[in-house]
Amino acid sequence: MNYVLNDRESSKIIEFIKNFARKNSLWIAAYGTGCGAIEIPPTMTSRYDAERLSIRGAATPRQADVLLITGYLAVKTLKRVIRTYEQMQDPKYVIGFGSCTINGGMYWDSYNTIKQLGLYIPVDVYINGCMPRPEAVIAGFAKLQEMIGKGEANGWKHYKENLEWYRQNQQRLIKNWKMPDFNW
Amino acid sequence: MNTLVLLLLIFFGGGLLTYLAYKISKVVGDILIAILGLAGAYVFFTVSSQTSLTFSLGGFTLGLGFSEYSWIFGLLLSILAPLALIYSIPYMKGHDRLEWFYMLFLFVIGGMFGILMAKDWVTLFIFWEIMTWSSYLIILYSRKKGLDKIGLKYIFFSAIGAYSLLTAIVVIGGTMRTLSIAETISLFGVLPLKAQLLIGILLITGFGVKAAVMPLHVWAPDAYTNTPMSFSAIFSGAMSKMGIYGLGLVVVNMYLNHGIGSVGHWLAWFGAFTALFGTFYAVVQDDARKLLAWSSVAQLGYIVTGIGIGTKLAVFAALYLALLHGLFKGTLFMAIGAVERQAGTTKFSELRALIRKMPYTFLSALIAIIALAGIPPLAGFVGKWMLYESLITSGHYWVVIFLFFASTAGFLYSYRFLFGVFLGQEEDDYKDVKEAPALMTLPMLLLALVLIVLGTLPGFIFKPLAYSMQGLGFTDISYHMSVLTNSWGNSVSLPYISWTLATVFVLFLIVITWVNHKGTHNVSTKDIHTAGEPPSEEDNYHFALDFYKPFMRSIAPVFKYSITRIYNAIGRGIEDFFEYVRRFYTGNAQTYALYVIIFFAILLLLANQIF
Amino acid sequence: MTFWQILGIALLTILIAFITGLFYMGIRRKVIARVQNRYGPPVYQNFLDVMKLWSKDSNIHHGIMQHLAPLWMISMSIATLLFVPIAYKSHFWTNFTFNGDLILLLYLMVFGSLGFALGVGQTGNPNSAIGVSRGLTQLVGYELPWVIALIAVMIQYKTTSLTDLVAFQQQHHTWIAFQQPFAFLAAFLLIPAMFHYSPYDVIVAPAELASGPISEFGGKYLGLMMSSSSIFMFAKLALFVDIFLGGAQNWLWMIIKTLTLYMWPVLWSAISPRYRTEQSIWSVWKWPLILSVLGLIIASV
Repeated sequence: MNYVLNDRESSKIIEFIKNFARKNSLWIAAYGTGCGAIEIPPTMTSRYDAERLSIRGAATPRQADVLLITGYLAVKTLKRVIRTYEQMQDPKYVIGFGSCTINGGMYWDSYNTIKQLGLYIPVDVYINGCMPRPEAVIAGFAKLQEMIGKGEANGWKHYKENLEWYRQNQQRLIKNWKMPDFNW
Repeated sequence: MNTLVLLLLIFFGGGLLTYLAYKISKVVGDILIAILGLAGAYVFFTVSSQTSLTFSLGGFTLGLGFSEYSWIFGLLLSILAPLALIYSIPYMKGHDRLEWFYMLFLFVIGGMFGILMAKDWVTLFIFWEIMTWSSYLIILYSRKKGLDKIGLKYIFFSAIGAYSLLTAIVVIGGTMRTLSIAETISLFGVLPLKAQLLIGILLITGFGVKAAVMPLHVWAPDAYTNTPMSFSAIFSGAMSKMGIYGLGLVVVNMYLNHGIGSVGHWLAWFGAFTALFGTFYAVVQDDARKLLAWSSVAQLGYIVTGIGIGTKLAVFAALYLALLHGLFKGTLFMAIGAVERQAGTTKFSELRALIRKMPYTFLSALIAIIALAGIPPLAGFVGKWMLYESLITSGHYWVVIFLFFASTAGFLYSYRFLFGVFLGQEEDDYKDVKEAPALMTLPMLLLALVLIVLGTLPGFIFKPLAYSMQGLGFTDISYHMSVLTNSWGNSVSLPYISWTLATVFVLFLIVITWVNHKGTHNVSTKDIHTAGEPPSEEDNYHFALDFYKPFMRSIAPVFKYSITRIYNAIGRGIEDFFEYVRRFYTGNAQTYALYVIIFFAILLLLANQIF
Repeated sequence: MTFWQILGIALLTILIAFITGLFYMGIRRKVIARVQNRYGPPVYQNFLDVMKLWSKDSNIHHGIMQHLAPLWMISMSIATLLFVPIAYKSHFWTNFTFNGDLILLLYLMVFGSLGFALGVGQTGNPNSAIGVSRGLTQLVGYELPWVIALIAVMIQYKTTSLTDLVAFQQQHHTWIAFQQPFAFLAAFLLIPAMFHYSPYDVIVAPAELASGPISEFGGKYLGLMMSSSSIFMFAKLALFVDIFLGGAQNWLWMIIKTLTLYMWPVLWSAISPRYRTEQSIWSVWKWPLILSVLGLIIASV
């Protein structure tokens, strides 16, 4: 749409409308291998009903906007997370869920889990707690929506610009790096 | 020289000439058959319905000349034959014994023209046999394993057809003292009902074999599959229409025009069953050629139904579908021939994702499949619409339900064909496959173009069809260039459909291509969502085996009974029977003479009963 | 009417159908949420979803057929809509309704799904292909009783034209649903299957097939799909209202009737688990088939 209106102000308005739509329609690809995944069903179902905040699940990464990493990531699963993240369409956001994604949490000294998710994929919002309750999850989503509205959730751009750095970090952990080329 | 003789000479004389030409040089032969095909088509268009030739033989007057009715089949043949011959040149390159193949090919075409221009039953029968035997030899041509059995099946059923045809001719000659087709038709009404039924059923059996009507269809799938595809285009596209031609003569001209409708209704039911079961069998095939062959059987079922119902719109629809089936099935057999030549196989379990390698073949196959499925705005819809409306308005709703069900199930194999051959995940085995040469793609694209044009403006073909319908006794055919009307007065205006679809399609094509065109990328078919697992080089997730398993599970009870199985049981019975019969052959000439006398005695006794 | 008037009315029809259809989808989500004792998203949620999908910054396709895939759907949806009568007695909203009939619509409605299925096939995703296989199988399943019900209606009123059916009902102040109750009941039972809502949602089945056919579609492609399915949904409902529920005098009646009718598959889907493919076929070949055959027998004698 930017090609029609070259005027600065009007492109700003367009950007505002786009961000409004984006923040009010978050489709999540929940990566539910960690124990935090158990908190997703109560968040989505009758008790807390995340759908009233325009958050709903998507079946595949192609349709999704938010990648939700629920808890710790083993080195083996990290590869799949990267793959899933790269298959998502821009703009895409990542929410790190639980302490494990921030500093390793209770797995701080484990030999095969990653300690800091932010080193491998760009995280827009972290939700603290071990594990965070649905209220906290919803608060995290609200924070993300606020950031999207302001145009601050730009992790995907950061990933694109610093792909080299991310790749180095990823390949340091994943020894059998056999991944298709990144395509966007 | 008479143009009719010229036409026959082009194919029969040309056939012999081709044999010599290929002995001299392949290039000369290739050029010759292209010229012969085009010349044949050209000569056909110069023939008018007045052109005729008569000669007398043994007291009977024999004659040649196209009737109004046969002209439309000649039109189909003269469109399809040159294109198939031209397609055949690159397709058959590298095969040995080409001189045989092309000689027989031209004989088959000549035989078909002969059938269409025959004015009497004897000429028709002679050309019928030329066509049958030449095509039988073409089945045997490729010398693959197991072909002798397929050929045997074909020639066995053809023999059944030929004998009933011959018996019918003998009965006609005996009862009516004439062999002329036109006189037979006009005198048919005065015959007693018994003779009418006998003649009609014998003729329907004879023609029904070639039209692959249900109990007589078993030869067709194997035979269509096991000839070179350039010939299959003619085999299924045009040769099966000779049966339809004959059925039209019998059912419409002999029965309906003399007020007997029940035979046609029975035939319509046979046609409906053929359509349904042909479709079911087409759905389960793993070989694309087999799928097309069974689909031919099913499509012929629709045509036979239309002929059998015999109302004006139904026969019109049947003739239209007959013409169209030749066009789209010709295209599809050519397309699968191109795939076979370029990729080396036609099995769904082996082929995948040829769309990028063979885009033109895909395009023509796509158009032909849309026409086959009867989806607007292409030409198939016109035929389907007319057929259904004619059946509904004339009160044959149980038949129409069968046909509707068959054509909905037809979507299954239509999709399977395109998906299995051209779509799906790409595989490195087919990395180096190239598009077929231009001489192969051009005939397909030409036929596809015809299908597109006829979808909006079927009036182009309605004009010759209406002319042909006169030969069946329907004189007051009113038609419109692009509006279809049924007998209740409801109509469909085709341009509205095609223009709406085309406009919206193009408009949104522009939109979807333009919006965010910088951020739109083409990715490989390996880059798919597989729950985060990147597929490795060796993995291929193409889903091809048992594609319609849920469908098969749903209709499994139907498949318990197969006609082939019944025939096999009969065959076993016959073997035992002949084991017994063998004892009659004593080797003594006098015993044989006795048999002959007994035979004639029985015949004389029965003759009074029958006639 | 001039060409531009026809075009303008057609565009207006499409726009209204699009907006109504998206609202219906939002209402569906809301209703299902209320059934599950949730608050649910706002009714205009689907507008935001479509807008978001169109405003994605990157899109991928696996080849030309996938690029074209939603276009078959949208052209079919719009064409179907334009052939369905919306308002009886209005010379304004006729569109192309006098140029088509029921058989045309039956075939036209397949055009989109088959074209879309081709695009789905090119993605190379096995889940998508399985979804197509199931979808076509279901199509064969529900098309049979549906066609029989329609033929029953056609032969009872000796017309295949939709406008004639609507005119008959409006002039006689009756509904075909009362005059031909068996065909109506059969068709009514088939609506959930035709909408592919639960229990007939084995095609998309997010939990087992990862949304099946649309699993490789995202961004603008999915956005166009959603737009076209909203139009198509309205067209299907309007078609049903025209055949069985007396058509409509104006847009308001059409919207009231379609929305009421729409609640049936929505509520049924809210409380239904999922059929397996063959179960879904057998279920439509049971009561709907029996009822429609009864209807045909009654209509033919």
